[in-house]
Amino acid sequence: MSTEGQDWVYSETVKDHFLNPRNFLMGDESKFDYDACGIVGNPICGDQMKMYIKVDKKSDKIKDIKWKTYGCASAIASTSALSEIAKGKTLDEALEITAEDIDEYLGKLPKHKFHCSILGHDALKDAINNYRKS
Amino acid sequence: MCYNLYKMVYLDYAATTPLLPEVIKAMHEAELKYFANASALHTPGHLSHNLIEGCREILAEMVGADPSEIIFTSGATESNNTVIRTFEGHEIETSPLEHHSIIEAARVYKGAKKPKLYSYMLANNEIGDFLDLPDKKDGFLHSDLTQILGKIPVNVKKLGLDYATFSAHKIGGPVGVGALYVREGVPFKPLLIGGLQEKKRRGGTYNTVGISGFRRALESVKNKGNFKKYDKEVRNLRDTLAQRILKEIPGSSLNTNIEKGKSLPNILNASFKAAEGESIQLYLDAEGIIVSTGSACAAGDIRPSHVLMAKTGDAEVAHSSIRFSFGLENTMEDVDKVMEVLPGIVDRLQKVSTIGL
Repeated sequence: MSTEGQDWVYSETVKDHFLNPRNFLMGDESKFDYDACGIVGNPICGDQMKMYIKVDKKSDKIKDIKWKTYGCASAIASTSALSEIAKGKTLDEALEITAEDIDEYLGKLPKHKFHCSILGHDALKDAINNYRKS
Repeated sequence: MCYNLYKMVYLDYAATTPLLPEVIKAMHEAELKYFANASALHTPGHLSHNLIEGCREILAEMVGADPSEIIFTSGATESNNTVIRTFEGHEIETSPLEHHSIIEAARVYKGAKKPKLYSYMLANNEIGDFLDLPDKKDGFLHSDLTQILGKIPVNVKKLGLDYATFSAHKIGGPVGVGALYVREGVPFKPLLIGGLQEKKRRGGTYNTVGISGFRRALESVKNKGNFKKYDKEVRNLRDTLAQRILKEIPGSSLNTNIEKGKSLPNILNASFKAAEGESIQLYLDAEGIIVSTGSACAAGDIRPSHVLMAKTGDAEVAHSSIRFSFGLENTMEDVDKVMEVLPGIVDRLQKVSTIGL
């Protein structure tokens, strides 16, 4: 894909999710009444993400979802995008979300960004596993 | 003026500088008047030659060299590569803060033969800190002076240098023009083999237009009293920003030693705990403030800046670093504009971060 004529390093969707992130958890995590949380990454590597889920017990659907991220613009945007994709899905459906799905939703990240910044789905899997264990 | 075309606050002068208006004018004039090949014996060729030799003399005088010891190159990377490759198969010692054009070239060319080459920059490009030059003993000493030229007075002889690297585009000149100081009598191997240019030390048709821009930029350094301006005005901007960051932003720390005599007056590198550098950089970008970062993400690498790692030993600090580098066009209003938005940006990233303060 040519980036000619585009004045920003990322796609417009990435820019939008970076500048106006959805569903993020601002400040103390106890402010959000969540059922389980999952984590992925390491600040030493430059990216870390946490996903918090609230599950509707009857339908097994993700009723609400929030996240926290330490990371670059595409890490923030990809976690924000994931939260939009996952909201309302059943836990089984949410487990199926792949990095490619997030990349597609965002209109493709630069190749070198794909592996390091799309990690949120693993944090979500971790959260779902923790929910099922509890 | 070109500088404010986008109404931005440009604080990335250590990466490259906008062309000075007088440089644009000089280069435009050279394109029209000095297009002839400077190696030719005809009159227009000789006029081009004179223009180039004038630049050589100004640079030589500014750094305390003889004009015959100055070679024009395509920039600092070529100058650095030329010196390192001259010592192919020899011991090469570099400081941990060197530019990639030194570190990577040394990795490729170093061996075990004597004499040894030492390559130590005098001031680092990412943090601005001054380095102590090593005792070269019976070896040879090169210094990358790319960030030093035009900022503080320097004398290659007094520093005991055998080789030194310079670049035009850090002082308002064009990209693609640099120079190399090679002390009379030291080993030298040309990187580009070609014609008789530069006394057979660097082949390739002279870049007359580029060198005319370099010349004009050097004249501006001399005539506008730039050394004093950097020492007083630019230092004041840098120090004010440093103090305000420390005072107004929780979790902030400086990676530059801003004590006088310890760093260049125009570079400030700071880290913001729990906030990642590329995100800070791009939020600032969205506000029209242009800076750079030592975070791995921004470089498309998995490792953060080797300079920040060498200075701080802490990957998290390196990932969270921002470099503000000032030029003569900046004003206190620019510092105010940064501080209008930076505390909010960092606060927001810290509140959404997985890392606590």
